[in-house]
Amino acid sequence: MDDTAELAAFRAEVRDFALTHCPPEIRAVVAANGKLGRKHWAPWQRILHAHGWGAPSWPREYGGTGWDQRRRHIFDEVLAECDCPPQYHHGLRHIGPVLIEFGTAAQKARFLPGILNGEDWWCQGYSEPGAGSDLASLKTRAVRDGDDYVVNGQKLWTSHAQEADWMYTLVRTNTEVKRQEGITMLLIPLSTPGIRVREVRTIDSWHHVNEVFLEDVRVPAANRIGEENKGWTYGKFLLDRERLGGANVAPAFRFLERCRELVARQLAGPANALKREQLEYRLLLAEAELRGARELGKAAVDAVMAGRPLGLMPSELKLSTADTVQRIGAIALDAVGERVATRFRPVDGSGPNAEVEDIEWVQNFMYLRAKTIFGGSNEVQKNVVAKQLFGM
Amino acid sequence: MAFEPKPMLPGDTFDAARRFAEASALKLARLHEPAARAAELATQWAAVLELGWAGTLVPEACGGADGTLLDLAALAEGAGSAGLALPLAATCAVAPTLLAGQDALLADLVAGRLQPCIVLDGLTAEAGRLSGRAVGVETPPAPSHALVATGEALYLLDLAGIGFARHERIDGRLTLDLEVQGAPATLLRPDAGEVIRRARDLGALLTCVEAVAAMGTLIQQTIGYLLARQQFGAALASFQALRHRVAEMYVAYRNLTGLVQAALAEPSWQNIAFAKLRLGEAGRFVAEQAIQVHGGMGMTEELPASHLARRVLMAEFEYGDRHTQAARLLAA
Repeated sequence: MDDTAELAAFRAEVRDFALTHCPPEIRAVVAANGKLGRKHWAPWQRILHAHGWGAPSWPREYGGTGWDQRRRHIFDEVLAECDCPPQYHHGLRHIGPVLIEFGTAAQKARFLPGILNGEDWWCQGYSEPGAGSDLASLKTRAVRDGDDYVVNGQKLWTSHAQEADWMYTLVRTNTEVKRQEGITMLLIPLSTPGIRVREVRTIDSWHHVNEVFLEDVRVPAANRIGEENKGWTYGKFLLDRERLGGANVAPAFRFLERCRELVARQLAGPANALKREQLEYRLLLAEAELRGARELGKAAVDAVMAGRPLGLMPSELKLSTADTVQRIGAIALDAVGERVATRFRPVDGSGPNAEVEDIEWVQNFMYLRAKTIFGGSNEVQKNVVAKQLFGM
Repeated sequence: MAFEPKPMLPGDTFDAARRFAEASALKLARLHEPAARAAELATQWAAVLELGWAGTLVPEACGGADGTLLDLAALAEGAGSAGLALPLAATCAVAPTLLAGQDALLADLVAGRLQPCIVLDGLTAEAGRLSGRAVGVETPPAPSHALVATGEALYLLDLAGIGFARHERIDGRLTLDLEVQGAPATLLRPDAGEVIRRARDLGALLTCVEAVAAMGTLIQQTIGYLLARQQFGAALASFQALRHRVAEMYVAYRNLTGLVQAALAEPSWQNIAFAKLRLGEAGRFVAEQAIQVHGGMGMTEELPASHLARRVLMAEFEYGDRHTQAARLLAA
């Protein structure tokens, strides 16, 4: 559905704000496909909050904007078009809504303000060495001891743990029942004694994921969300709320445009004609696929607006975009690989070529492998789609 | 409940076209000789003209229904969902677009007095005479004329007395090969460049509509086959490799559906070119994989799914294949 005049004005207002208020040095990192962290997100969150746009996805009484799904979609789209960091971090989009739905008054008063103004930074302690796609098999154990839980175990793939203050965590509190029924959600300060965070070195050479070891970590029972052994419900609530996340294809379009500029810049001249034309053709195929995905995204927003069930749309969106973005990353790798993949990590020495221009494209190619793995791997998504299609 | 494709343009028009196309496919499936099939197609084409489909876009004053592009697209979607082997896009979209403003010819088109094939490439004109060779031109079973584009000009060539060979395409539709040397023709418009480009784009768009509808049915039939067929003591539908393949086919189909819907909502040449480009990729993938997961059955002429797969494969080559569309988009 196309914008009405009112929505077009809204779009213009968001654009104007984004371009004038999002710090240029932060937008430059986004524009260069750099790695985003707390130091980019938190200041931007503070700015948005000061403007009253701190939590578009939250109810108005908790600091939400009162925008409907279409406006929120437009908001996310415009931020991406303006190279602003996506307003998507664990506090705001994950644990915040869970606190609002299931938290005590005291928990809301303690945690929501810090999420809104970007002062508290959160990470998600879900996956474990033995519990990835099959999350319900998690083993990190929490045993009640007086007013505390004592937590022992290990979390894995914990993004932002190196820079977060808090970790919302799924732990096992009952081993006697069905796997999903013995899980509890705890909010754990990462400064608690017994917690050790270790970087997981990844193939992209960026630091984003960690192992978190928990050894006799005492967590006050007051930091439990809702009831004991109901953590799976809260975790699922969180994931269900984010099923529209894939509807915003705008960041992928920006990525495509940057890649197209790279190809034009990197492969100018007749000597590169064949390669340039092939890469331009592949970019066009990717663009066609993204355009298709954008329509699926609009249809998903329309469905939410009309109160219709989303059905397979989230899986369709993920499967329609994740590989495509990977393919764009591969096109960029093909454009710069000979020059840059050969100089991935500095060893020693200095000189005029020590700074490797365009290295982010190689890092992105590596990083983007994760697109089809996290948030429900493509294989899991295909299982979901097939189950629906075959009715079995 | 196993998958049932949801039409983009549901309603009576879609339903009627679908029923017609399904009946048509059943009759054709029993005929193996190309000549017998061509005769059956001639009977069916007469019925199509009787139903007034050729007049969908034609003004009422010329005997048409004065319908919208979406009305015609609903017809194409219904017909495409069963792989109707008749020149719907050419006769119902391309021809009336080329003939816009030529009221007498439009009335002839609606009434079936004018049954043109459309020659967009291959012929040149000099002093009102056409020369050149155009092969594999989609045609009604008994074409009366050829509507010929020569660069910027549009001609009407009477086929009476001109011999031509006919073939069946891979999807069972009829084509003709035309070779003329100085054949006299009527100049309809000297400055038809824009109209010709538009007509070609609308042909491409309706081809996409037909193809995406065929892909929906093809996936449905593939799922039905995998649910029914037992091997190694289990339904093929229980094997993950096949389930994932079908999921990939479905996602490709849905993605293409999005592009086709966008092009129907705003039929700019770019939107159409992107849809057609993607049809080249997604359609080929779905068709190939449908044949693959049907196993040996997929190789058989009789299998309805193999007919739909060939329809989808063929659609890419109508009104500009993926490379033609890419070249246009890159040049823009």
